[in-house]
Amino acid sequence: MNPALINLLVFGALVALAWLGYRIFGAKDLLQSKIKQEKTLTEDILKQLFHVEESKSKATLDNLAGALQLKRKSIFSVVENMTQSGLVSLDNNSIQLTEEGRLYALRIIRVHRLWEKYLAERTGHQASDWHMLAEKMEHKLSEEQTLKLESTLGNPMFDPHGDPIPNEMGEMSNVEWTPLPSYSLDLPGKIIHIEDEPEVIYKQILDKRLFVGSHIKLIEQNSNEVKFLCEGVEHRFSSIVAANIHVAELNANEIFEENALRLSALTEGEQAEVIGLSKECRGANRRRLLDLGILPGTAIEIDLKSPLKDPVAYRVRNTSIALRKSLSDLILINRS
Amino acid sequence: MENKTENSIVELASELRWKLGDNFHDRLTESLYTDASEIASAAVEMPGKERNYTLDSKIDRIVTSKRWGFPIMIGILSIILWLTISGANLPSGMLFTLLIETLYPALKNLSESIGLAWWLDGLLIDGIYMAVAWVVSVMLPPMAIFFPLFTLLEDFGYLPRVAFNLDALFRKSGAHGKQALTMSMGWGCNAAGVVATRIIDSPRERLIAIITNNFSLCNGRWPTQILIATIFIGALVPKAFSATVASLSVIGIALLGVGFMFLTSWILSRTVLKGEVSTFTLELPPYRPPRFWQTIYTSIIDRTLIVLWRAIVFAAPAGAVIWLVSNIKLGDFTLADQLIGWLDPFGMFLGLNGIILLAYIVAIPANEIIIPTILMLTVANLNLAGFGAGDGVMFELDSTMDTANVLAAGGWTVLTGINLMLFSLLHNPCSTTIYTIYKETKSVKWTTVASILPIIMGFVVCFLVTQFWYLFS
Amino acid sequence: MSTSHSGCEDCAFHNVNSLKKLGIETNKVDYVVALAGNPNTGKSTVFNALTGLRQHTGNWPGKTVVRAEGAYSYDEKKYKLIDLPGTYSLLSTSQDEEVARNFILFGKPDVTVIVADATRLERNLNLVLQILEITNKAVLSLNLMDEAERNHIKIDQRELAKKLGIPVIETVARSQKGIPQLLSTISDVATGQLVCKPRKVKNLKGMVESSVNKLAQEIEKQFPGLPNSRWVAFRLLEGDERITEAVVNKELLELV
Repeated sequence: MNPALINLLVFGALVALAWLGYRIFGAKDLLQSKIKQEKTLTEDILKQLFHVEESKSKATLDNLAGALQLKRKSIFSVVENMTQSGLVSLDNNSIQLTEEGRLYALRIIRVHRLWEKYLAERTGHQASDWHMLAEKMEHKLSEEQTLKLESTLGNPMFDPHGDPIPNEMGEMSNVEWTPLPSYSLDLPGKIIHIEDEPEVIYKQILDKRLFVGSHIKLIEQNSNEVKFLCEGVEHRFSSIVAANIHVAELNANEIFEENALRLSALTEGEQAEVIGLSKECRGANRRRLLDLGILPGTAIEIDLKSPLKDPVAYRVRNTSIALRKSLSDLILINRS
Repeated sequence: MENKTENSIVELASELRWKLGDNFHDRLTESLYTDASEIASAAVEMPGKERNYTLDSKIDRIVTSKRWGFPIMIGILSIILWLTISGANLPSGMLFTLLIETLYPALKNLSESIGLAWWLDGLLIDGIYMAVAWVVSVMLPPMAIFFPLFTLLEDFGYLPRVAFNLDALFRKSGAHGKQALTMSMGWGCNAAGVVATRIIDSPRERLIAIITNNFSLCNGRWPTQILIATIFIGALVPKAFSATVASLSVIGIALLGVGFMFLTSWILSRTVLKGEVSTFTLELPPYRPPRFWQTIYTSIIDRTLIVLWRAIVFAAPAGAVIWLVSNIKLGDFTLADQLIGWLDPFGMFLGLNGIILLAYIVAIPANEIIIPTILMLTVANLNLAGFGAGDGVMFELDSTMDTANVLAAGGWTVLTGINLMLFSLLHNPCSTTIYTIYKETKSVKWTTVASILPIIMGFVVCFLVTQFWYLFS
Repeated sequence: MSTSHSGCEDCAFHNVNSLKKLGIETNKVDYVVALAGNPNTGKSTVFNALTGLRQHTGNWPGKTVVRAEGAYSYDEKKYKLIDLPGTYSLLSTSQDEEVARNFILFGKPDVTVIVADATRLERNLNLVLQILEITNKAVLSLNLMDEAERNHIKIDQRELAKKLGIPVIETVARSQKGIPQLLSTISDVATGQLVCKPRKVKNLKGMVESSVNKLAQEIEKQFPGLPNSRWVAFRLLEGDERITEAVVNKELLELV
């Protein structure tokens, strides 16, 4: 055989091996989740129980195992240990959190949501990665580190999805929301929470660039789908997807801007006034836009369009600033 | 007790922050701007005139237009490159004559007349002086032309428009439009390109620009490419076309570099760098008539001389090493011969040879001295009579034919030529650039990534080309 | 009480230690001057015009990232000039802004020269107002006046000085216009012949104002005489770790 062919084959085999190794190494977390360490598993069970109790239903060993995608027998011994250490109590077939267990669960949720907040504000990770990264971090941070994290973030009350973050004592703000499909027609509202699980649906919502804080108005609803207006764009979602978007009425001091538009929708020659920045505009990007003087009431217009259409340069306070569409989507304006 | 009261400030701050909620920063900035607007409206009188009629906006409409935006950019870049390449020939030749053809023999005579020990004479004059003189004569003229031209465009305010025009292309690979400029700057010198990444104010995109700058074929590598292309690629076609084909192949290598830059940017932004903060706002400043002489002066002082100084600092020890490996003898063979012997199997495996690999190791400070080092090592290794000025003394041959003959004697084939061109594009940055990357990132990790990544790519690409070549021939 | 740091009160500069911590040698220097401003306002050109150095200046936002230093003499006094990174603001988390704000606060420069672009004054004032919260000794160099004229922008320099409470000098640093006046004004402020009464931000709204005031009062109680208690309050409310640390370890006392 041609020695070059052998060389190439060996090389190909090595690359394949490395790739395989990476897959196995990269999927180690998955592997570990099957044989999770007891601590991690305990914490995941606590969290799951907490969510079950929040939704006023009951947890059994079976549906717990189902939710965690584990075999019944693999969590049985853990739950037994948890009972002994007083984190949960068994009542007939249902498992309940004790007060101690509830506080423990809140601590885990606290770290999870703080970390998501951190990822959103201080790093460049994409929204679709936050949850997964926080799932890992929630088992790692000590209480002291959590406190420090909380204070560097400025004691936030909500995570980027709109979920309340428990404080050190396990207290958190009470938020009332309605799933979008059951919200009342024609009453302006705002998105206050977007469920990040399951990921498929979350990604679908992210793709449409709908964010926590955006004002909406339902136009049409039936059992299969809802149609609503958000920031100058009409959306049509199936009820299953829309149910993961949670809305609430506007506060007394919030005004529904019927004609609000995204800056990206402005056309050349039009004049506009900034209404504000979307909540989704975070961290370094938000600060930069504020520093450049893109604030409520600021006059803005298109200065130049680049030959490939994106970015567009806008004229603000007598300066010309180019923004990509991904950022100008997050600036709300009113045509004037 | 005192300690307690001081913590009370921090505690109070925490409590207030909790009450204020998320948007303290927003509110504070709004307050500042309300004040700023108040003051500005009292003290500033703006013209009512529409900006659309000003000269600035007229220029902007042309240089960012769909029809003219790209042709103007390409035109200006070509002019700069042409001026640099053709303009540098003459002063480079003069410096070469002065430093190497006149001063070098004079120094040799001087050392002989004062009776300097042969090894000291060799180390200082053949090694250190020669390397430094070589770097100065080859590197200085193109940089002294390229950077001022670039700086003039920068002072005028045209460069931000280039970033604006090209951002869409760079965005797709996760990079910043301004990387177009640091990349072009890299065609002059990678170290200067790395320094220029300071204009990118987003941490992730700046790191991408730093790590991928090496894929810009720098000024020190163009002559290598042109020489090798002329000898090996040009010879494949009838004489009438050989010059054109050779130039096209060099341009092809430069474009391949751009391709690798995009590919690497794409990979980096989706893997190791995805957690770094990323922002994009690009201010388009007003045009300003540049002050010609001042710009030339400052750009030579600021960019050219600093880079040159760093190159010299690194070239001097490299000159010493080059001389030493060719003159220290282990048994019957010089150290260089030994190293070449060890590196040869690996080199052949990649379609290169031991001499090329050794040259890239010892001549790490500057790509300019790769060819002279290769020639010197080849002649010394084969004991070719009639070429060069002795062991450890770099040289270049006046005629391309002679160079081709030396290389052919060294066992070079078309495949070696192609691989050298590829390897010259895809290998670690020169030590000046590595040092600059460290200075700019202050991170051993990113410096290592930037140094190792391209050479791994170089090994893989050369290996694949070689093996496929053998497979089909 | 703590008198250890008051021995230097009568020196020309009384902040040697904190400057040393920031890496500034103050040997044989009478005054330290900081140079701040938005990116692309010609700040480096002003730096060159004042010091006679030839640092490269480009028509780019954000050219100088590293801190540059230079020196000059005026009226038989030696001045050290520190060119701070150009920033749009001092309130954010970027490294440049951290360097700039910590220098102005902890380095206590004798004078801070703020370079502003006359054609985009409103945006530049955002930074000016922030700096005036930190320091009382500031001079505004209203640069690029030639461009302002070219664009038919008129600026009432007296009104501006009155509103800001600091001297305002119109300059065209590229052609050295206004530089002599700038030099003499810097000297006046440094020697104390000219005392500034800088404007403090007025339009704080609702909760922000009450929180800032409450916190500033508490800070003044612990650090009586601190000239920039409101700025410290701003920073604490933003969760600035460096300032929190300075509060806890009493470093703020050095700023009184």
